[in-house]
Amino acid sequence: MNVEDPPEHHPGRVRFADVQRPLSLFAEGLAGRFIQLTPSVASPPGTGREPTTESDGASIQVPNELSPFPTEALNRGAYRVAVLHQLGYLEHGTYAFDLTGFIGNRRNPALAQRVFATLEDLRIDTIIRRQYPGARFDIDRVLEHARSSRRALPRGRPLASLLEALVQFSLGADVPGLNAQDETGWQHRMLDVAATLQVPGATVHDTGRVAAEICRFLEELDVRSGDPRPETTDSDADADADDSPAPPTTGADGQSNGADVDRVDLSEDDLNGTRIDFRGELSPDPGQGRGVGDATDARGESASQTAPALKATTSPETITDPTGPTLAARRSGGPLAGDHLRTYFYREWDYRSQSYLPDWCRLHEHHLRGEDYAFITGVRRRHALLAGQVKRHFGAIRPEAWHRVHRTPDGDELSLDSVVEAVIDRRSGHATDEHLYVRRDRAVRDVAAAFLLDMSRSTDSPVPDPAELAQAAIPSAPDPGEHDPYLRGGYFDFDEFDLGPGAPKRRVIDVAKESLAVMCDALQTLGDSHAIFGFSGSGRHNVEFHVAKEFSDRTSSRTWAALAAMEPIRYTRMGPPIRHTVTKLAAQPERTKVLVVVTDGYPQDEDYGPDRNDRNYGIHDTARALEEAEAAGIATFCVTVDPAGHDYLRRMCAADRYLVISDVNALASELEKVYRSLTGR
Amino acid sequence: MFDHTTDRSVNGLTRATYGALTYGHGQDTTLYPEADDTRTGTARPFPEHQVPAVVTPLSSNLTSEPWYLPLADEVAVFEAAYEARLPVLLKGPTGCGKTRFVEHMAWRLYRNTEGTRRETPIPLITVACHEDLTSTDLVGRYLLSGDTTVWMDGPLTRSVRTGAICYLDEVVEARKDTTVIIHSLTDHRRVLPIEKTGELLDAHPDFLLVISYNPGYQSIMKDLKPSTRQRFVSLEFTYPDVDVEAKIIAHESGVDHDFATCLARIGEKVRNLREHGFEDGVSTRLLVYAAQLTAKGIAPRRACDAAITSAVTDDVEVQQAVSDIIGVLLP
Repeated sequence: MNVEDPPEHHPGRVRFADVQRPLSLFAEGLAGRFIQLTPSVASPPGTGREPTTESDGASIQVPNELSPFPTEALNRGAYRVAVLHQLGYLEHGTYAFDLTGFIGNRRNPALAQRVFATLEDLRIDTIIRRQYPGARFDIDRVLEHARSSRRALPRGRPLASLLEALVQFSLGADVPGLNAQDETGWQHRMLDVAATLQVPGATVHDTGRVAAEICRFLEELDVRSGDPRPETTDSDADADADDSPAPPTTGADGQSNGADVDRVDLSEDDLNGTRIDFRGELSPDPGQGRGVGDATDARGESASQTAPALKATTSPETITDPTGPTLAARRSGGPLAGDHLRTYFYREWDYRSQSYLPDWCRLHEHHLRGEDYAFITGVRRRHALLAGQVKRHFGAIRPEAWHRVHRTPDGDELSLDSVVEAVIDRRSGHATDEHLYVRRDRAVRDVAAAFLLDMSRSTDSPVPDPAELAQAAIPSAPDPGEHDPYLRGGYFDFDEFDLGPGAPKRRVIDVAKESLAVMCDALQTLGDSHAIFGFSGSGRHNVEFHVAKEFSDRTSSRTWAALAAMEPIRYTRMGPPIRHTVTKLAAQPERTKVLVVVTDGYPQDEDYGPDRNDRNYGIHDTARALEEAEAAGIATFCVTVDPAGHDYLRRMCAADRYLVISDVNALASELEKVYRSLTGR
Repeated sequence: MFDHTTDRSVNGLTRATYGALTYGHGQDTTLYPEADDTRTGTARPFPEHQVPAVVTPLSSNLTSEPWYLPLADEVAVFEAAYEARLPVLLKGPTGCGKTRFVEHMAWRLYRNTEGTRRETPIPLITVACHEDLTSTDLVGRYLLSGDTTVWMDGPLTRSVRTGAICYLDEVVEARKDTTVIIHSLTDHRRVLPIEKTGELLDAHPDFLLVISYNPGYQSIMKDLKPSTRQRFVSLEFTYPDVDVEAKIIAHESGVDHDFATCLARIGEKVRNLREHGFEDGVSTRLLVYAAQLTAKGIAPRRACDAAITSAVTDDVEVQQAVSDIIGVLLP
């Protein structure tokens, strides 16, 4: 579908980056689930093939750019057709068919694959024309464009001619015109058989059946290549009766009797030439079901008979199973997979080009669910003193529950003063004021706070327990079997801080979770709206955003269990989760909005910038995201437990907008101070 | 505070007047001065451009049946709940037909029956709750009249006295104190304490309380307390499947069945994008609007853009996707 050698600045050219999000949403809307759209990888120079549309059953590859038509609107339509065709594969069972088994039983697997693919494309195009009537103009335009680049039917090479005729027929070519070029005498019957796939209700198994018949037909023709016109071709009436071409001489196993596959008069170019770019490539997948090819090869066996055998081999990724997990859910992995997943796209700041990369990151939002309902009890017991202090501090700034608003047009009760004045006014002939009521309004602090917790793998590091620090100062006797002298002396040995035999070590994330629990427990006293989020991920397509508590969630045991479920996962791509949190905060009605980011290291991810060892890209993007938050009226604050935090935080935030905590255990008390300062108390 | 209005825009699927009384200043409420006339039996015909294609305007005392297509057994459950005088909670996304259902049930229970209930002047009193709605607004207040004050019943008190169905639409939008005052009406006591008059008002035997809320977008801001939620028989509503929704669209707009089916399919597909900025997806009400615009001569694509694409989201790229979906599905 790509025009060869498109002009550099084709006025109608459409790039995938320009249409990625609307096109992804278009696919998601029609499919009813998330479909990953990715640009196809450019072919090596000199291959003569442009990137095409392809699908692996769960994601769709579409061309990097399209410019076959003069206007942007038409090229956008071509993108839609490409997506619709791939969705047709997904929605109408193409991937449930065992193509590997089918072609494995043919004398010429390459020919069989091309015949099947062409016939299946014919079926799918017919279905989407019927299913999406509004797309007919775009489909016809794209098919016409594909037809215009086809060659005339080759002369003197019956197989190549028949295959080309089949391709052109699938592209909607005029049948009488095609038949007029036919030298074989077989073509009209082959096309009649192929046309049965245009009947409503045709399934992929019908495609398999028709493909098997046509392949036998072509193989037979090849065997008789010295005499391309078979003796049975004039019995059209018989052929019409059983809706199939002449009976083959092959056995039930599909193998021709003594046939020599090398005699096929098809070149590699003939086969490759049958590929149509916008349709993509249907490739055999070894993972697909077995035995289907045998079933479809059995002459006369109906699709309904073969369907039960196929059901067992249907890929879970096919769209016919609406209850199946989404692609993104499966990819995210971990204990949270599939739990209330939402996907968002966010831009990213590229400091090298000083520009945003639109829709660069895909953020998956999960709602955490935990089972540790005793978490908050442990926190309250462990931090009883601190929790009490924080609550007292917050309690001191809690506003009065209600305040009375006088002289309102409506309210709970009449205001005596206002009524007296109104009566006086009336009796003295003046206009009366209708603001006669007193209304009780709750005085709210009007604060919304979001806590964003780093869940990167590094938060798995153990931290010393304060109760054990004193004992840590007393060197214990070295283990005779210990060979590493650096575990002693001036270095912390985290193993020394065992809470007891079998007791789990406290990690950075544990301390962070407990600190947030203390904070949020106390915030209930204050009544401020607050939310707790975590983030991690691996790569720009898999930024994970974990929700322990939304602003709207009431604090309950489930909230605490969700907070307890936060665990170290992968990397620290900070820009997208900050932007996502800002989006959530922006939707809050409160006047004062606060974002507190708790982290343990600098932003990093496997593709956070072109060079993984270059910290600058991530730091610049995070700084930009924080600037965006401030521009949106959200006060931001970064707290890190990384002793080296000054090095990068001073580049990301203003000096009064970050805090480096040397003692992890002081996180809770520091958070409380930070919060009070941010909310102006 | 209150205008006695006849609501032609907040009901589930149409702008027809079924109305009863509707209170409140919710964004869906439209004031129609002629409503007072209709209540006194001197209804003026609506201007032609305001009359839906099929639906006949009704008087406010529900003399005609509001059309409703049952999705499951909700009619039977509601009737049983009414017979036992159990309060009812309707949950469902916006524009799925909750209000129309209540109107239909009010007609069935008060007009399509024998007995004294037929004499109830206003069988359904609807309150569109909003964030400034207080218990005073529901119960009533003293008004200054000349040199004295007079007590004015609020809609809830009026329902309790006359034995009407009181329908608190989107109840969680109201202040918390409003949900507390309904507690004593929802259990065996069936009384309404009126603090300002010192009255303890026994509910009329025919009185029933019905509330609704939308768990989708309202969970963002508020939620119904368990102590309130567990006082109600709960009926869950959702958007109907394509065939049923097509029937509704065809009935409400007058378009043919094929076009109605096409719109229903658009609704089905666009709802797949509900997580991209519009929690409720596209409502049946919007699909009916699109059909009604088409029935009035607007080109289908333009009607869908106006009634669906622009209505569901302001995100340009999501609008583009919705428009593309509409484009490929429309004939």
